[in-house]
Amino acid sequence: MDAFVVIAVSVVTAIATLILISAGLAVIFGLMRVVNMAHGEFLMVGALTTTSLVLKLHVPWWLAMMAAPFVGGAIGGLMEILLISRIYQRHLVDTLLITFGISLIMFQLAVDIFGTTPPGIETPLGALTVGSYAFPAYTLVLLVSAVVMLLGLYLLFTRTKYGLLARATAQNPAMALALGVPAKRINFITFTLGCALASFGGAVLAPMISVSPSLGQAFVGQAFMTVVIAGPAFITGTLLSAILLGGVSNGLSQGLTTLWGLTGLFAMAIIILRFRPLGVSSSWKRGL
Amino acid sequence: MTASMHGDDTLARDMALPVAIRSVQARNLTVFIAAVVLLVAAAQFASSTMALKLILWISFSICALSLDFVWGKAGIFSFGQNAVFGLGGYAYAVIALNFFPDSQETVSALLGAGLVGALSSALLGYFLFYGRLSDVYLSIVTLAVTLIIYTVLASTAGPEYHIGEALLGGFNGIPSLPGIAFPALFGIGGTELSIHQLLTFSILFTAAIYFSLHLLVRSRFGLMIEGLRSNELRMELLGYDIRKLKLIAFTIGGLIAGLGGGLFAAWGTFVNPSVFSLAQAATVVVWVMVGGRGSLLGAFIGVLIVQSAADAADLVITEQTPLLVGLLLVGVVMLMPDGIVPTLARWMKVGGHRPRELRARLREQGHAGAAADRRLSVADIAKHFGGVHVLRGITAAFGDHPIHAIIGPNGAGKSTFFNILTGRHRPDHGRVVLNGSDVSRVPTFQRCRQGLGIKMQVPCIFADLTVRENMQLAALISKDAQDIHQTLQRVGLSQRADEVARNLSHGEQQWLEIALLLVQNPSVLLLDEPGAGMSEEDKRQTIALIHSLSSQHTLIVVEHDMEFIRALSAPVLMLHQGIVFRAGTFDELVRDDAVIDAYLGRRSHAA
Repeated sequence: MDAFVVIAVSVVTAIATLILISAGLAVIFGLMRVVNMAHGEFLMVGALTTTSLVLKLHVPWWLAMMAAPFVGGAIGGLMEILLISRIYQRHLVDTLLITFGISLIMFQLAVDIFGTTPPGIETPLGALTVGSYAFPAYTLVLLVSAVVMLLGLYLLFTRTKYGLLARATAQNPAMALALGVPAKRINFITFTLGCALASFGGAVLAPMISVSPSLGQAFVGQAFMTVVIAGPAFITGTLLSAILLGGVSNGLSQGLTTLWGLTGLFAMAIIILRFRPLGVSSSWKRGL
Repeated sequence: MTASMHGDDTLARDMALPVAIRSVQARNLTVFIAAVVLLVAAAQFASSTMALKLILWISFSICALSLDFVWGKAGIFSFGQNAVFGLGGYAYAVIALNFFPDSQETVSALLGAGLVGALSSALLGYFLFYGRLSDVYLSIVTLAVTLIIYTVLASTAGPEYHIGEALLGGFNGIPSLPGIAFPALFGIGGTELSIHQLLTFSILFTAAIYFSLHLLVRSRFGLMIEGLRSNELRMELLGYDIRKLKLIAFTIGGLIAGLGGGLFAAWGTFVNPSVFSLAQAATVVVWVMVGGRGSLLGAFIGVLIVQSAADAADLVITEQTPLLVGLLLVGVVMLMPDGIVPTLARWMKVGGHRPRELRARLREQGHAGAAADRRLSVADIAKHFGGVHVLRGITAAFGDHPIHAIIGPNGAGKSTFFNILTGRHRPDHGRVVLNGSDVSRVPTFQRCRQGLGIKMQVPCIFADLTVRENMQLAALISKDAQDIHQTLQRVGLSQRADEVARNLSHGEQQWLEIALLLVQNPSVLLLDEPGAGMSEEDKRQTIALIHSLSSQHTLIVVEHDMEFIRALSAPVLMLHQGIVFRAGTFDELVRDDAVIDAYLGRRSHAA
């Protein structure tokens, strides 16, 4: 029984992690069809903001995490205005290359500012014990953050005016524009939101991982796979995709090694794509 | 080759080029060989440091060449070429460490690297292309694959991770590899090459790869992948299996990248996971972007420019390569999306469309389809999307009359029915029978090979290729190819054979598309709104063309232009609400009140 609880906690953590690292990417890709190659660097921005605030300014960890999305959002918004908004009309590969270039620039700047191995922060809240097993209580924060993130997104896109306009723009940009939707502003908000979400994800994960400028690279591959497998329904699809991929990879990691977990995640993703090239949610009727 | 040699060897005449162009090619070959000889000679004077740097750049160029081919020529945007390059490096390391102590040669390891590259690309390509991933997904997945290989290989630090004698070594990779060594034969070989020998070998090795690729690009296969990049849908409608074509192109790219990776490992005598890093993936793309995609020589120029710039920048601020590559990438995409070299070439007005020489393959002359073989029929076809039943049991036979027209008001199910005939949609129920064989579950490209010709509403042609190349592509895949020149004459385009197709007028593009079908001599021709967007004069010509075709083909015309239908004087099938509402002559239908009601959306008053 105790062992079961520990395994369950581990699986849930893996799923929550996937959600946290991919939600921002999913929003931008799902609504704008822009592949944000700099997504991993926004995770890194969030994590580094958190560790820096905690270590240098002694801000409480939860407050530091709340600040992270504002930093990431600001950088993302600037990037949208300066570069991305100018090339929406061009081929998809162009936005992909631009964001890729930005990803490299952000990485190198982070190395220049923080060094390759900046100090990390301790995992707050201590440990919970179940029988003879112990796991970090912070795991619950991860889980709650992932749930709040998805629920918040769902409410945002179903209950607000921005949400409605953003979905309309995604479905039929020409029509939305003809109806007077300020597509430019909507795209700006969506992109900024995606970058802010990524930074928040990175911030929440910061105490559990080794925070460094190359953090983005370590996670972005999994984030891309999760989003691709999710398909058009970028909230519920991401949830299902994270459950599938996170479940499989964590199961394999526990049974064998982390190496097998990653390989399993990748193999499973490729096999799903062979039969559902547009993702698991491609045949769902509702688009969220 | 002259046309008088064989009366029926017409494809040869259309595909061969004038002697003048051949002599140009002979001169180019001379220039190429002279350049290689010169490079090899010059290489002997390079300092050891310089020689080492050049070998590295050559191995990079091979990687760039592979992406240039895959992306620039075949239109497949892959972020994974450096992953294949890296796998080639690891393959070289593993093979060399296991066999070199006994065999004292590493040529097998170099070839093995190419083989591993080809196999890994083929495996990945199978999932990507047979799953029909669209291009964005393709780039994301290839990148994700690269990153995951990076993470996996970086975590193989323990002694338990080894392949034979080779310890994978985690983040540190595999050190102390033997360099390139030829097998001991005739008293030479058996030892590792010196730096200058390795440079000479690298130049010759790359020249061989470049030349093979050049020949490939100029071959039939080269034309096919150019067609793929230009218009995938039309390739499919001509009967090409585009999944297979892409897989082959991707595998060739993998072979080249793998060979480059092998050379890279032999150069540095080590290999580690950093070749799979994001920065490296981007760098390969930057090389090709800067050099210009689609020009094979551009790959070398791109590497030369970018790597020299990186080295120069390193003197000013050290170890800022990612920053530089990032800035270059952003700069090139924003300012010169076609690449630096092509942009400069355009300013200086060099280059342009070069005709290609294709020798005709000997083919058995097919015989024109007998009248009995020009039939398409459907039985009880039903199709629904979600809860909407678009087609509800359609039965019809085409072929007892040379021309058939299908009409119906908006929402009648015309397009869905057309897509069922072409194979784009599979029916939920019912059968489609082409010339006596059930094709209900047969994909589009195979239906086209079995004698179905499909003309789309919007002209679907290879806009980047010349009219002649368009026709060659159609003829190459056909079992029963007709004379290209005569076919062009039939549609009135014989004077424009060397024009690039995008320069044709809208009507001419429609006729070119029909010519593409005719050259394959299909038994049944499906025309979707052939008169759409045409002037009255163009429409009259199109109708005359359809009549002239009707003696040799069965034509099915989906159209809503009533004057067009009247002029066809063909039996009309009217669809309405997913069933065959009426069938008869045009005059019968226009006198039928129920038909008028259906078109006007009135409730029927005819019992």
